[in-house]
Amino acid sequence: MMNSHDPFLDDVAVYALGALPPAEEGRVRAHLRGCAECRAEYALLNPAVTAVAYDAEACKTGENGPQVSSLLKARIMREVRASASSTTRAAESARTADPARARRPIVWPAYLVAAACFAFALISTTSNILLMGELRQTQTQLATTQDRVDATARRLANEHVMLADLMSTDAKRYATNDGEIVAHGDRLYIAMHDMPMPPRGKVYQAWTMPKGGKAVVPSVTFMPDRQGVAMVALPENASAVTMVAVSVEPDGGSKAPTSKPIAVVPLN
Amino acid sequence: MRDAAAFEALYDGFHRLVYGVALRILNETGAAEDVTQSVFLKLWSSPGLFQGGNFAAWIVRVTRNRSLDIVRSKAFNTDSELPEGLTESQGLEEIALAHLEASRVRAALAQLPEDQRKPIEMGFFEGVTHEEMARRTGVPLGTIKTRIRSGLHKLRMVLDGAVTA
Repeated sequence: MMNSHDPFLDDVAVYALGALPPAEEGRVRAHLRGCAECRAEYALLNPAVTAVAYDAEACKTGENGPQVSSLLKARIMREVRASASSTTRAAESARTADPARARRPIVWPAYLVAAACFAFALISTTSNILLMGELRQTQTQLATTQDRVDATARRLANEHVMLADLMSTDAKRYATNDGEIVAHGDRLYIAMHDMPMPPRGKVYQAWTMPKGGKAVVPSVTFMPDRQGVAMVALPENASAVTMVAVSVEPDGGSKAPTSKPIAVVPLN
Repeated sequence: MRDAAAFEALYDGFHRLVYGVALRILNETGAAEDVTQSVFLKLWSSPGLFQGGNFAAWIVRVTRNRSLDIVRSKAFNTDSELPEGLTESQGLEEIALAHLEASRVRAALAQLPEDQRKPIEMGFFEGVTHEEMARRTGVPLGTIKTRIRSGLHKLRMVLDGAVTA
C-alpha cells in the first residue's frame, strides 16, 4: 500500500542513480539530512547503483570486450613515481628549511591504504616487468644521448681552441698559396681557402717532415667545405716538425705521396 | 608520505571498473583511457577527495561524473575538476556487493524487466535525467521514478541472493 512518503522514496532512488536534475538533487539531499527513512532507503539502493557499474566492467572488459592497455598503467605509474620522488625531495628541502613543517608530514589517508589492501591480491608482476624494461630502454637512450653530448662538447672545445690559436696575435704563420700553416705553442694547423674539391674518390692529405727526418710522414686527410675553406688541426707537435706539405691522395690516404704536392711549407 | 605501492594496488584492483564505466559511457577507448588516467592521477594528487566509506562506490561516481561531463561538453579534452569529497555509506553488505563478480552483476541486471532496466541504464550510463526519460519515452514522470526504484530494489534483492549463495 502506498503511503505519503513514497514519492520521496522514489526521488531518493532517482537521486541514488544520479538521474535527478541539479536543482532537485539539492532538495533531496536536504531532505535526506532530516529523514531517517529516506537515508535508510538510500543506503539500501546505493550498492545496487554501484553494481550497475560492475555490469559495465563485465561488458566492456570481459573476454569479448576490449582490454585495458597495459601501457595505461605504465603511463600512470610513471607519473606517480615521478611525483613521489619529487615530493620526497621537496619534503627533504622543507625539513631542512622548516623543522616545524617536518613534524606535519603529508600522509595518504589510512582508509585509502586500507582500500588498497583489498586489491593487493590482484597485483600483477607483468606491469612491473614492463616498467623495468621501459626503464632500461630509457637508461640506454640516456647513455647514448650523453655520449653524443660529450662528443659534441669535445668537438666544440677543440674548435674553440683552434679558433683562438688561429686568431692569436703571437701565433707563427707560414704563408702558402691560398692559405697558411699556423703554429701556436705545440699546436699546428692548416688554414686554407679557395681550395677546389678534389676529384671523385680523392681527398687532400697533409704530410709533415719530422726534425732530423729524411722523408715526409703521413698526417691527416681532409676535405674543404663547400666554400673551399679547410681548417685542420694536425696531430703532430709543432716544435717537432720542420715542414708541412699537402697533396691529393686516394680516399683513405696514402703511406707516401702519390701526386705532386699542391703546397710545401717549410717551418723556419 | 603517499605510498606508490598502495596506489598501484588500488589501480590493480579498480582500474577495470573505472575503465569499464568510462568506456560504456564514452564508447571510445582513447577517451576512456584518458578518463581512467585522470581519475587515478587526481586520486594520487588529492587523496583527501575520498573521505572514507565504500571506495568502489566513490570511484564509480567520480568516473561517471567525469565521463558524463565529457559527453555533455562534446569536447574530449575537457579537464573538469573532480567533485568534492563525497562520503559513501559503507555497510557489510555494500562491501560484499563491491566485490561481487562482474559476471554475476550482469546476470542480475539482465533479470530485470526491460521497462525497469532501461531507465536505470539510461540514467547511469547516459546521464539522462528522469524528466528527459519521460519526454523521450512518453511515460509519465512518476512512473519512470517508480520503475527506477522498483528496478534498484529488485537488483538489490537479486544481488543479496548472490552474495549469500
